[in-house]
Amino acid sequence: MNRRKLLGGLLAGASVPTLAACSGGITSLKGDGAGGGQGGGSSAGGLVIGTANFTENQLLGYLYAEALGGAGIKTSVRPNLGSREIVIPALQQGDIDLLPEYQGNLLLHFDDKAPQTQAGDLQNALTVALPNGLEALSYAAAEDKDVFCVTRETADKHGLRSFSDLKKQNGKLVFGGPAEDKNRVVGLVGLKNRYGVTFKEFKALDASGPLVKGALKKGDVDVANLFSTDPDIEANGWVILADPKALIPAQHIVPVIRGAKADTKVRKALAKLGGALTTHELARLNKLVDKEKKDPDEVAADWAADHGLTKK
Amino acid sequence: MTVDWGWFPDHVDDLTTLTFDHLSTAVPAVLFGLLIAVPLAVIAHRVRPLRGVLLGLSNVLFTIPSIAIFVLLLPITGLTRTTAITGLTIYTLTVLLRNTVEGLDSVPAKAREASTAMGARPLRTLLTVELPLAFPVIMAGVRVSSVMAISLVSVASYIGYGGLGQLFTDGFQRNYPTPVVAGVVLSLLLALVADAVLVAIQWLCTPWLRRRA
Amino acid sequence: MIELLTNLGHWLTSGAQWSGPDGIATRLLEHLQYSALATLVAALIALPVGLLIGHTGRGAFLAINLSGFGRALPTVGLVTLVFLASGLSMWPVYVSLVALAVPVIVTNTYAGMAAVDPEVRDAARGQGMRWHQVLFQVELPLALPLIMTGLRLACTQVVATATIAAYVSFGGLGRYVFDGLAQRDLVQVLGGAVLVAVLAIALDLALAAVQRLAFRNRPAPSQAH
Repeated sequence: MNRRKLLGGLLAGASVPTLAACSGGITSLKGDGAGGGQGGGSSAGGLVIGTANFTENQLLGYLYAEALGGAGIKTSVRPNLGSREIVIPALQQGDIDLLPEYQGNLLLHFDDKAPQTQAGDLQNALTVALPNGLEALSYAAAEDKDVFCVTRETADKHGLRSFSDLKKQNGKLVFGGPAEDKNRVVGLVGLKNRYGVTFKEFKALDASGPLVKGALKKGDVDVANLFSTDPDIEANGWVILADPKALIPAQHIVPVIRGAKADTKVRKALAKLGGALTTHELARLNKLVDKEKKDPDEVAADWAADHGLTKK
Repeated sequence: MTVDWGWFPDHVDDLTTLTFDHLSTAVPAVLFGLLIAVPLAVIAHRVRPLRGVLLGLSNVLFTIPSIAIFVLLLPITGLTRTTAITGLTIYTLTVLLRNTVEGLDSVPAKAREASTAMGARPLRTLLTVELPLAFPVIMAGVRVSSVMAISLVSVASYIGYGGLGQLFTDGFQRNYPTPVVAGVVLSLLLALVADAVLVAIQWLCTPWLRRRA
Repeated sequence: MIELLTNLGHWLTSGAQWSGPDGIATRLLEHLQYSALATLVAALIALPVGLLIGHTGRGAFLAINLSGFGRALPTVGLVTLVFLASGLSMWPVYVSLVALAVPVIVTNTYAGMAAVDPEVRDAARGQGMRWHQVLFQVELPLALPLIMTGLRLACTQVVATATIAAYVSFGGLGRYVFDGLAQRDLVQVLGGAVLVAVLAIALDLALAAVQRLAFRNRPAPSQAH
């Protein structure tokens, strides 16, 4: 382990904001870049952006890289690291510095009883709930919610329109989603506690990827956890079940960063990106990557240039 | 399943980066494997009771799924390249240890005795007589474990450090065979080239075998 | 570390963990089923090829280098390719496991056949034996120890690699490894890994026992050559 990482790890664990603010000073003493310091941390040494194991998150990672690059901050992107359960500890340990996240699910990761469902409330709650050393920056206009889908045939056959309807089929249907759904509130835990829904079986598949979509298509699972921005939902005419009791919180895209790396430059660059990135745009970009097989880094670069985040 | 050939020329840079990424995980793994296996093999060779234990343990390591080794290292080495290298190192040990022990076994007792008779201390005998004579067998192990390490790097793609294996994840998620084909072909080629390079190194390092042949 | 091992102990011994569709018993059987079928199919393909090459001496270069190729082939890539070609089915699992096992068995079968003393072979022919009699009554019994070594090695590798079934949504002990990774539940990962290792070792010992029984009434074939 090199000294900078060790230091970063120590600082990430620092409990008082003033202590974290020193990081700029200590870093410059070590001579790896001047300045920074403003707004808590310093981005002078560059940032490592990690992303979770699904394509949209890759795309978001590259968008962050573009926005930060446009502000003169060096970055590298580590795509496809794993589920939230894997990447958050990596962020806390300082293996990575920045992650594209989703408000509601991120909050529930740290506080599985959090009642907030609205974007603004979630943001405040996140500020409180995030462990020392981590910080949530401004959230984007874009939102990608977890949705639980059934095929049109299943919906018609059992009269399924909302989560409440699932209760009538308790113990009969098969639920598919990523393995982590088994223990998540936005997953089996919440469906059971909030709606009293139980399933015949849980199949561990992937995060709105080829496994879960293939299984839904084939009929191997009846209910599938997908992402609202997934272009395949519309393409296949799948039915998104309604959530009358608001189990699934708002899921605006939100950058989570190690405080030691968060300075004004980073905050402003990512806020600017967040303001320009709408749900519609995100869905369109996903389609370019998933359907038209464009490289996520190129899609991100084009989009950032078109929206004035970088110079063409 | 169609391969989009136009993809290849557009991604030469990416493929080069991933290939170097791949090598920078596989090569240190084999080197560290050797650094650990050779001393252990010397011990296993000298201390008979330990021989079975060490070889047996290394065989057990081989039966553990490689993906599990990477995951179990996460709390210790984090989500870093170190985890990928360490996991692979563990996996190379089986072959390297076995071959090094066999190599040392194959050294004629007379060669060892001659060296000792000439007043050489055990360490000197080991370095100047035994290891050079065992070299071909050890190198056979290095070749096998290098090829294995290169093909196994892709398993580390489950924790984001798979080198060319990242192309497998990408193709899988996007239902896009082209990057997967690229990854498989390059990984195979890399193993082939590495094997050829090791054969060349062995040839260069053993002039006495060449003269005899 | 100690805590992890204690939890592993609980995980491995709790009755609840052993039963049900996600229980160890089910997963163990699934894993055994994938491994056994893959090894069997691989043997059915590889044994005739290895015996033929060994008997005729043609294609020796292929037989010797095939195992190197098998080692070089990245299994994750092969699984992914077959998955993209065949969709959600068992094909990716079986194709990649068979592809892993075939080279090992071919190379070892050939090595066993190549090690048969040419004089023994000639003597058999001299006695007027037909080619199939030479193959099955003379060469095969002599080559059997190395053939069995190949089968055991293939079996071990297949069991360790059958973990990959879980990557493409199926069962087996790999379920614990992949789900444990996603849920960051190290006890589950460790439990899965230990069970795979134990299964691989147990099968290897079983095959070794079969091998010993088969040779009990026979003079040990001379491996010195």
